[in-house]
Amino acid sequence: MKEISILLIEDDELDVISFERALKKINLPIILYTAFNGIEALELLRGKQRISIPDIIVLDLNMPKMNGGEFLAELRKDSTFNDVKIFIMTTSNEDRDRSRGDEFGVTGYIIKPLNFNENTKRNVSMDNFMHFQIMKMVGDQLN
Amino acid sequence: MKLRLSGKIIASFSLIIIFSFISFGVNLKLSSDVNRDTEYLTKSEAIIRNSAKIHKSILEMQSNFRGYLLTENKSFLDPYYSSIKEMSGLVDEQRKLISDSPAQVARFNDIQILHNQWLKYANALIEAKFKQIDPKIISSEYEMLFEQKLRKEFGKKMTDEISNKFKEFDKTEYRVRKGRRAKLSESIAIAKQVTMLLAIITISVGVLSAFYITHIIIKRIKSMVVLADNISKGRFETIVDIEKDELSQLSDSLNVMSEKLKKSFSELDNYAYVVSHDLKVPLRGIYNLAHWMEEDYGNELSPEMHKYLDKLKGRVERMESLINGLLEYSKIGRTSQPLEEVNMNELLADIIDSTVPEDFEVRLSNNLPVIFTERLRIQQVFSNLISNAVKYKGNKSGLITITSKEVPDGFEFTVEDNGVGISPEYHNKIFGLFQTLREKHEVESTGIGLSIVKKIIEDNKGSIRVVSNEGEGASFIFKWPAIKVVMPV
Repeated sequence: MKEISILLIEDDELDVISFERALKKINLPIILYTAFNGIEALELLRGKQRISIPDIIVLDLNMPKMNGGEFLAELRKDSTFNDVKIFIMTTSNEDRDRSRGDEFGVTGYIIKPLNFNENTKRNVSMDNFMHFQIMKMVGDQLN
Repeated sequence: MKLRLSGKIIASFSLIIIFSFISFGVNLKLSSDVNRDTEYLTKSEAIIRNSAKIHKSILEMQSNFRGYLLTENKSFLDPYYSSIKEMSGLVDEQRKLISDSPAQVARFNDIQILHNQWLKYANALIEAKFKQIDPKIISSEYEMLFEQKLRKEFGKKMTDEISNKFKEFDKTEYRVRKGRRAKLSESIAIAKQVTMLLAIITISVGVLSAFYITHIIIKRIKSMVVLADNISKGRFETIVDIEKDELSQLSDSLNVMSEKLKKSFSELDNYAYVVSHDLKVPLRGIYNLAHWMEEDYGNELSPEMHKYLDKLKGRVERMESLINGLLEYSKIGRTSQPLEEVNMNELLADIIDSTVPEDFEVRLSNNLPVIFTERLRIQQVFSNLISNAVKYKGNKSGLITITSKEVPDGFEFTVEDNGVGISPEYHNKIFGLFQTLREKHEVESTGIGLSIVKKIIEDNKGSIRVVSNEGEGASFIFKWPAIKVVMPV
């Protein structure tokens, strides 16, 4: 089975942990790289010890140093990353952010749940949410 | 040139004052004309009166003169002489009165000359008569004069001539008097008309300028009232002011106020978002951590630790409820919702479906209306009241009854339950922010639901009250102003 590589750019450590926990449960050949902001991510993609071009980039918008929008603007200057599927995963549900994503031609826009009250009632934990989202993201790659 | 508001007011007042002065001046001139003409007329009448007196005196002198000659009685001569004295005063007065009319002066001179001639003649005869009847003197002078003058009607010719002259004089003066009388009534008529005309003009100018000024002030104020009204409804517009007058300062201030409010409201919205986002993210993190501890180390944890983790999660959930409630509360009245047709039957069925558990019985009255109102708001009110009824269930099996009644300007709805009820001493407290009669560990009871309900209802200009006793269930009765939609049959 082909290995899938994902770069997760997310400043909230707990979201990263949740993502990793979900991946562990999925048990598929997925390699995860993580960066806490846009600068770190660009270093990973273009620096001396660069990683190979990932299949999927999961991107938070609201981050310190270099936010998601700035990162995308930088990334789009280099056509080598044109085939990478980019998913924005944010708590922001604002039209402004959505249309920004569309401008950069992202594959998906995922809203992280904030109201865990309602989620616990429906028995949806953060891990379950991540699990579901990852399955959706890699589904195409597997087939 | 553009007049400012005070300029316009002063201009119109000045206009009225100028008109008043003009009419005052014109009236003064007209009344002096009337006075002058009255004086002329009075003078004419005095001339006629004097002329009659003089004529009468002369006639009396003539008759007294004749009386003496006939009777030789000296008593006739007393009035004759006193008439001469009397006459000189009258003559002087008459001369003064007619001094401005040379024709009348000439006539009067003629009369005086004739009269003086007559006096000479009469005096000569009287003197001759004295001598005739004086026994000491023998004189034939009287007989001679009698033959020469009296018999030849010398005196009568003169007196006739005087009478004619008087007739002529009086006729002339009558004519003058008639002319002056006509002139007086003419000037009175002119004075009346001109005064009336000027009064009408002055009043018209006053009324018109009052209307004009009222109109422009009201127009300006109206636009500001509309603006203020819009601001109070959360529409932060500005008005375009091209007048640039004293009221501009007010409209400018209103515009500035509107813009500042708009800015601070958008800041508040932003603030609300930041609060909801930034406070919730760490809360979610705490919740996740507790969840992971249970998931990963469930077997290793003591029952005590399980209990504490549960309580930790409970408190975090409560915190989230508080944040959500505060957000909801702060949004009421700031964002106006569209008015739409709301079928209360359908709306309540939806709410009951999602919030009331199976073991509850819900009775809806069959006369629930269709109203024209803000859907989200009435839904929030009923959601909170119904979920309260569910939350505060008593020992009996749950029963919720919802009824409506048409009242002036809207409807009165009642949500009645058979739950634990509320002791009357708490009836005022329960609508306050964060006031709950449950203990703090209760997840769902944040004490914000009824505050939201009350704020929404009062924002809609309604009112709410509670009827309840401890252990006897509770009825929440609220008035909701709205327009009834009459369904076509």
